Parts: sequence; structure tokens; C-alpha cells
Amino acid sequence: MKKVFEIALGILAAIGGFVDIGDIVFNTAAGALFQYQLLWAVVIGVGAIVTYSEMCGRVAVVSQRAAFDAVRERLGFGVGLLALVAGQLVNLLTLAAEIGGIALALQLVAGLPFRVLLVIAVLALGLAIWAMPFEWIERVFGYIGLALLVFAVGAIKLHPDWGGVASGFVPHADTGDLAVYLFFVVGLLGAATVPYEVYFYSSGAIEERWTPKDLGINKANAIIGYSLGGLLSFALMITAAELFYPREISPETLGSVALGANVPLGELGLLLGLIGILFAVSGAAIDTAFAGAYNLAQFFGWEWGKYRTAVEAPRFTLAWMVMLVLGFLIVVTGVDPIQVTEYSVIFSVVALPATYVPILLVANDRAYMGNYANGRIANVFGIFYLAVILVVAVAAIPLMIISNMGQG
Amino acid sequence: MSGPVDLALGILDHQLLDSEGRRCGNVDDLELQGVREGAPRVETILVGPPVWRGRGAIGRLAAAVARGRSVRVPWSEVEKVDSGVRLKQPAEAYGLGRGDARARKLVAWIPGAER
Repeated sequence: MKKVFEIALGILAAIGGFVDIGDIVFNTAAGALFQYQLLWAVVIGVGAIVTYSEMCGRVAVVSQRAAFDAVRERLGFGVGLLALVAGQLVNLLTLAAEIGGIALALQLVAGLPFRVLLVIAVLALGLAIWAMPFEWIERVFGYIGLALLVFAVGAIKLHPDWGGVASGFVPHADTGDLAVYLFFVVGLLGAATVPYEVYFYSSGAIEERWTPKDLGINKANAIIGYSLGGLLSFALMITAAELFYPREISPETLGSVALGANVPLGELGLLLGLIGILFAVSGAAIDTAFAGAYNLAQFFGWEWGKYRTAVEAPRFTLAWMVMLVLGFLIVVTGVDPIQVTEYSVIFSVVALPATYVPILLVANDRAYMGNYANGRIANVFGIFYLAVILVVAVAAIPLMIISNMGQG
Repeated sequence: MSGPVDLALGILDHQLLDSEGRRCGNVDDLELQGVREGAPRVETILVGPPVWRGRGAIGRLAAAVARGRSVRVPWSEVEKVDSGVRLKQPAEAYGLGRGDARARKLVAWIPGAER
């Protein structure tokens, strides 16, 4: 019974933890532009993140080594360092986007200047990380982020054309502008698979002190948690398809996203939607700041972990603090947070193979993994999604240029 | 520790753990003996930024930018090799973990740092 409870808790946290500013921006924009047509891309993105989270979680549990340990061990110092630099740049950009997203969400509630809200956001994040143990951080933000489920209720209440929704799961492109369509495919895949998720997930398995007995929890967390998280992505896209597509509105602010809960469900819907966005994006910001600190510590061999005190893992502690400050400095310059989000998602796709390849290699190494090495199913999925990611990684930048960042 | 080990995939770039299970650096390079005789064995584990010079062009670049001393740990100090390389004594005995010791002063004053 305790086990069932534990799995349920983890899954709930994973649902809330999956959706971040990238998912919110890309799913809403995709629904507004292409109605239900791109739902299939979310399915592929979720499949990839489930496969690689399960894999890196298993590697971490069995070997006690997390994502960037694997990166350095398999790619060596030189190439590993390049992967680190690329991964950190993407992490920073993502973190800046999430911090900006928090301030945007706060702006809808409190009428304070944007830069003041940025300061509040970063201080609150720092305080939350400092004061709460790892499990609390994961769960508090994951659970309250579940308020996003209001978008699923809203999507149903908007009475979408379910036949059209169903056909959205079969890849087809009914559009005059293929480049924009493909740009959004890249964006949706990228938003579902942002690298910080894998960095954070693998280190989180060690933070939570999982042992091989918990491999069932690992699998359930990855499969059920991220799949249900994908459901929230569907809800955002369907809501946008109902509200914005017929009126040819492109939702350029977070406020219009929140409208998706307001129109079908009124004031309460709006409130829940805003709380959901605020906590989901804050959780993602913390995950990203941690991901940056984990990567640095693992690459250079420093002590790390929130399960250590700040005094026991001081460089790790300084690293997440510096990440928060740098993320803040990027977004305080006045760049548009939504644009930062778009760039962070597209660049993250480019950096992704440098993480997935070493994880796949280590998960197949029997000397390392013993009986827990990848079986056939994990490898079939692993290689399939790696191939998809490689194609998307190569196409991402050209598509970004050709489609003018999806503006056509 | 004696017995065969996989140098490239089994030791190089792996985590170093001290006798208390603390992470205290990565194996940045290795010093081998007996390569010419055809019976190579690891003599010393090398740790620290100056050691990166031996790790290709990017390593040289990184070594030029980073600060810090190099540390030599004799192979006889290795207790065990699993997914990490476990040492027989606390990190301080080898001069490892100095970076963490410096950083500790920066965070120790904050209330709750030892919790």
C-alpha cells in the first residue's frame, strides 16, 4: 500500500513537472495556427522523454551515476566539455525563459512593473530551493502545478470536434506553409524533451535515494507521469484550437493562454489556470537551475546534491545560485520572455543528441549495468527516438531561418 | 587494488570517491608504467585543471582558462573500482576537494547552510 502511495505521489509530481513555459507557448501557438493537426508531434515528444527518462533513471539507480557522469565517461574530456558548454547555454536560456514566464504570470495577478516581478520571482525561487528539502520542492510545485488540469476540463467544455482531434494524432500537413508547420513540429518535440528534464530526472533518482528495488517506481513515474503530462499539452493545444484558430488570433501573451481556462470556466477557471501556470513554470525553473548545477558538478567531479547540506556540497550550492542570477540577468535586459522561450526550445533540440547518445551507450553496457542493461524494447524505442531527435536536431536551425521563427 | 581494469571505459573520466563516500574529483588522466614492455599498469591517478593539458586541444584550452593545482594519487590508494573509483582515505589526505573547501567559506555564513 505504501508503495502504491509512493508511485502515485511521484506520478502526480511528474504530471505537474512536465509542463513548462516552452510547452505552454508552443502548444498554444500550435493549436491557434494548425488547430488539432500537430497533436501527433506531442505524442512523439512524450515517447522520447519517457524512453530516455526511464533509461537514465535506471542508469542512475543501478550505478549511482547521473547524466553528465555518463556524458563525460563516454564522450571523454574534450567532446564532453563541448556537450557541457552546449547543455549549460541551453539550460541558461531555458531558465531565463522560465523566470520570465513566472514574472509574466505574476503580472496578470499583481500590477507591478515587470522588472520588480522578476526580482520577486528570483528571490522566491532561491528561498524555496534553500529552505525546502528535495522531495518537498518536487512535490509542492508538482502538486500545485496540477491546477493546470483545469485546461483539460476547459478543453472538454469547449466541445471540440472529437473527430478532428482524433485525426490530429495521424501525421498530416493540411497547410499552405510547410516550413512553419515543420518549425512547430520541431518546437513541440523540443518543448516535450527539453534537456533539463533528463539531467534533472537522473540526478533526482539519486537525490531520492532510489535502489534497484525502486526500478518499478522509476518506470511508472516515467511512463504514466510524462504521458499524463502530455495530456496537459493536448489540452492546451485543443483549447487554443477552439478559442484562437477560428478567429485567427495568435496568442502572444501568457494572458491569452489563461483565457483558455477563463472562457469555458469563468473566474475560478482563470484563477486555477494562473496558479497552475505559476507553479508549473516555477517548478521547471528550479529543475533547470538544479540541472545546471548537477551538470557542472558531475562533469568536474564535485560533491553535489540537495540531499547534502550546503556546507557539504558548497560548489554545487554556489552553482545553482549563479544559475539563478545569470538567468535573471538575461531576462532583465528587456528581451521578450516568449521569444527567449522559442529560442531556448529550438536550441535545446540541437543540444539533445549529446545527452541521449551517452545515456543509450551506458544503458547498454553490461559491465556497468549488469542485468539491468537495456532489453530489446528499451533499445528499439531508444534507437527510434534517437533517430528522430537526430533528424530534428539537424533540421532545427534551417527551419528556424526558413520559417522566420514560425512567423512565415 | 590489483587485477585487470578497463583503462579507457572503466577508469578514465570516472568519479573519485573518498573513504567517506564523498565525491572528490574525477580521474582526469592516468600515468601508466610498462607500456613498452606490453604489460601496462596504472601507476598514478592525476586530478586537477593542469592535467587537462593532456586531454587534446579542448583540454589544453580548458587548462589555460581554469585555475587550480594538480593532484597525484598513487594507484595503491585505490580501494575498489565500481562505477566510481573508491579511495582508501578521506579526500583531504590526498589534497583533493580543495575547491569545495574554498567554496564552503562562501556559503557557510548563510543561516541554514548546515541543515
